[in-house]
Amino acid sequence: MSISFRSLTLVAGAAASLLTLTACGGVSELTRQEVARSETAVKQAQQSLGSSEAGAIELQQAKDYFTQAQKAVEEQNETRAQRYAKQAELSAQLATAKAQNASARKAADELLASIQTLRQETNRPATSQQ
Amino acid sequence: MKRTHNLILGLAMATAMAACSSTPDKTIAELETARAVVPQVESSPRAGVAAENISNARKALDEANRMVEKGGKIDDIRYEATVAATHAQIANEKILEAQAKDEIAKGEGERQQVLAQARDREAEAARTRAQSLEQELKDLKATKTDRGLVLTLGDVLFDTGKATLKPGAFSTIDRLAQALKEDPNRRVLIEGHTDSVGSDEFNQQLSENRAMSVQSALMQRGVSGGQINSLGKGESTPVASNDNAAGRQQNRRVELIFTEVAGQRVATDGS
Repeated sequence: MSISFRSLTLVAGAAASLLTLTACGGVSELTRQEVARSETAVKQAQQSLGSSEAGAIELQQAKDYFTQAQKAVEEQNETRAQRYAKQAELSAQLATAKAQNASARKAADELLASIQTLRQETNRPATSQQ
Repeated sequence: MKRTHNLILGLAMATAMAACSSTPDKTIAELETARAVVPQVESSPRAGVAAENISNARKALDEANRMVEKGGKIDDIRYEATVAATHAQIANEKILEAQAKDEIAKGEGERQQVLAQARDREAEAARTRAQSLEQELKDLKATKTDRGLVLTLGDVLFDTGKATLKPGAFSTIDRLAQALKEDPNRRVLIEGHTDSVGSDEFNQQLSENRAMSVQSALMQRGVSGGQINSLGKGESTPVASNDNAAGRQQNRRVELIFTEVAGQRVATDGS
């Protein structure tokens, strides 16, 4: 009884893994490269963000997508691996773009504020003379 | 700026809707978002700074639309729409960054302009101050010579045979100190002179000491030492005859020579 149960599970297991293989196939080299590229994009975004708050959410999303992409590679799900890798890469780029925009905006606002201050300072003696 | 706020708001709403609608029957939230934001970035006047993202967004959106028409799988449509919307968002950030950088470039120009105006105003104020010294010297009856404006402090302002200034000189010194402080570019040369009575050494020393006491008096009132030079000329440069008392009194004097042009040093030879 115990022997027949073991062999039954063996057969079932083999059938299941065969099914997975035929359904999804192995993950292609191209997809592996795409996943690797998305990892690079995430790392670059992490670097360019530094401690910037802008883009932090998108960076976290990119990391999550990358984790999903790795999982999909392990599960040999080609399409999911490709898509998650692409979304990880795009989210990482969005994070970088947001951080860069935020720092440019900050610089612009600071400059405009400094001009405002400068104007007030240079106008003060002139208005007191008038 | 308004447009981009709307875009972000739209995205947020679309995302919220996507979270709520568990069974998007006919409408796919990601697709609606992509259909809204892609044309917005495409029509931006700064679309050029994100051309590649915008083109990729358009490609993905067209693909999603095509799949809808062909009755494609929802997951596939959703994926393409997400790719399109993300590319559009990246493009939007790049466009905003370019806008901020334009503002910085324009701001730098404006800053320079404001600084230049401030300099002009400062120069104008300096001119006014220079005029006030001019006025002060005129009031004190300084005479214009080719060496500059010369103000003479007469012998009566010193103790006889000594270098000590009498209190009678103080109001003049006060006014000069004030005018010099207001116009730090002005320089003054202080020259002491004597008559021919007494030894050359004594006269030289007395003239130097008298010039020095005027310099000290000015510096005590806050004038920078860098604005003042002083020297004694003894009996070498009389302005009147030493043969009579009136002439000798005229020769016993301290001259203050003000340079007319800011920063210019007065020649120290008695020409």
